[in-house]
Amino acid sequence: MKLIEARGLTKEFRIFSRSEGVMGAFRDLFHRKYRVLRAVDEIDFAVDRGEMVGYIGANGAGKSTTIKMLTGILVPTAGTVTVNGYVPHKQRESYTKGIGVVFGQRSQLWWDIAVIESFKLLRRIYDVPRADFNRRLQQFDDILGLSSFLNLPVRKLSLGQRMRCDLAAALLHNPAILFLDEPTIGLDVLAKSKIREFLKEINNEFKTTVILTTHDLGDIEALCPRVAIIDQGKMLYDGLVDNLFSQWGQDKLEDIVKRIYMGQKPEPGLAGGGVSLV
Amino acid sequence: MNMHQYRPSGPLARYLTIFMHYLAQYAKIKMAYRWDFFVHIFTEFLQQSVSLIFILIIFSKVPAIQGWTRDQVLFIYGFFLVPFGIYSGFFNHLFDVPEKYVLQGEFDRILLRPINAWYQVVVETMKPELLVSMIVGIIIMIYSGSNMNLVPVWWDIPLAVILVIGAALVYAGVYTFLASLGFWSEGNLGLMPMVYNLSQYGRYPMTIYRGPVRFMLTWILPFAFVGFYPATILMHRYEYLGYALLTPVVGIVCFVIAYRVWAAGIRRYRGTGS
Ligand SMILES: Nc1ncnc2c1ncn2[C@@H]1O[C@H](COP(=O)(O)OP(=O)(O)O)[C@@H](O)[C@H]1O
Ligand SMILES: [Mg+2]
Repeated sequence: MKLIEARGLTKEFRIFSRSEGVMGAFRDLFHRKYRVLRAVDEIDFAVDRGEMVGYIGANGAGKSTTIKMLTGILVPTAGTVTVNGYVPHKQRESYTKGIGVVFGQRSQLWWDIAVIESFKLLRRIYDVPRADFNRRLQQFDDILGLSSFLNLPVRKLSLGQRMRCDLAAALLHNPAILFLDEPTIGLDVLAKSKIREFLKEINNEFKTTVILTTHDLGDIEALCPRVAIIDQGKMLYDGLVDNLFSQWGQDKLEDIVKRIYMGQKPEPGLAGGGVSLV
Repeated sequence: MNMHQYRPSGPLARYLTIFMHYLAQYAKIKMAYRWDFFVHIFTEFLQQSVSLIFILIIFSKVPAIQGWTRDQVLFIYGFFLVPFGIYSGFFNHLFDVPEKYVLQGEFDRILLRPINAWYQVVVETMKPELLVSMIVGIIIMIYSGSNMNLVPVWWDIPLAVILVIGAALVYAGVYTFLASLGFWSEGNLGLMPMVYNLSQYGRYPMTIYRGPVRFMLTWILPFAFVGFYPATILMHRYEYLGYALLTPVVGIVCFVIAYRVWAAGIRRYRGTGS
């Protein structure tokens, strides 16, 4: 049994257009015109326990929407999904006990209260025993260096500090799976490398499964043996990073990915060519 | 047994502990802006006093309105303030849901946590200092009650508790319902001020309204049950006994319906585009 298993996973959004003028607004009340946007289009996706998978794609490709379905925030339009034995959007309250989520764009912590107070509140919410909590916090502090700003409210933190706190917060309850949506966005080189080091260690020690979206291919190269590439809602590639290198006969991931985004195919005849481009 | 190792368990204990934590954090933040906090409580007092003076002025001109004396109207108002206090403290800010939680995508965070979403929104947005209205209400009830020589009986107290809970559930239901509309309408419908004004109708005797208004306040937006109906039974006037006793039922029905709409709304939640 796979830890994450999605089949034909699809999400459509209705995009409403507003009509002009008062009469238009009135007409919209009863009959609004809309078009349907397929943000995620029949994706099949399976992940084993302990894997670290990179999930990449151009802006608007459907990465965040996928993550939101896997974490139970959004109800899929079609398809099935089970994660960690649960159907995320149906068994939300039990399911979320076993996952951690970080959105790089938006903090999950309370804006106005000290970071440490947020952590304590999370301890209650996830029902983490005090001893476990203290031990984990200590460990996170050792790698991420949190202690100097634990007493500041989140709104006073720099982006790098905030991201480190968000990461720690997402892991305090020792989740089986960690979902990261652009965790390194806007960070400097040093902060990035700290976060990568931290994720590696967590994955090593706790066998935490990590799904990570990013625009920084350095994250993938540093962390993820496997990468999934999505474009306009469709899965373009799902397999080992190493296979990409041999398929394309190139040694720069960035060049390969750029070509895939541009719709090119690897030339046939290269070593390992034609393997798992789906 | 070592008392320090005793940890209350079960969902109720967990929810209560979480509530206490939110409360403690809230108090801390408020104490940082102490001045605001007291101004807030003071304006609440002031608002209630204005309403009170309004009633007193009217009754300085006439002895009774449609068979209701000054003290009876005061008593209804006093009772009304108790569930109103609960509403102001806990449910008023459900009106943040359409804008802040749905449109701006804050609801993502709520849905990622292993506790009930409605409960989270309520404890995140509560303003428990506004519970002061309850105290003002109780004082007004005691004052007007003694003016009209009301002799309390033992069952007045448990009855009052049940009626207040029922009335607060009416408030919770109406505001949960309004909040849920945010999952359909993309933003605030601007209904909140209108509904707030309607809720204030519940603190006067229903007899002063025309039939359709009375019907609406009883069966559609049942604000007659947050003040008038339950108050009559506590001042021992029994011509609305049936309605008064319906208060908890109306509260429960109202809240259950609203909660279902809320749950259906959550399934429609779509967050924000990137
Ligand atoms: N709540 C929403 N309402 C309407 N459209 C949305 C919403 N969320 C995402 N989309 C659209 O779906 C597509 C995929 O978005 P997203 O999953 O955020 O992409 P990515 O994370 O890969 O940049 C985009 O075209 C985006 O505009
Ligand atoms: Mg995104």
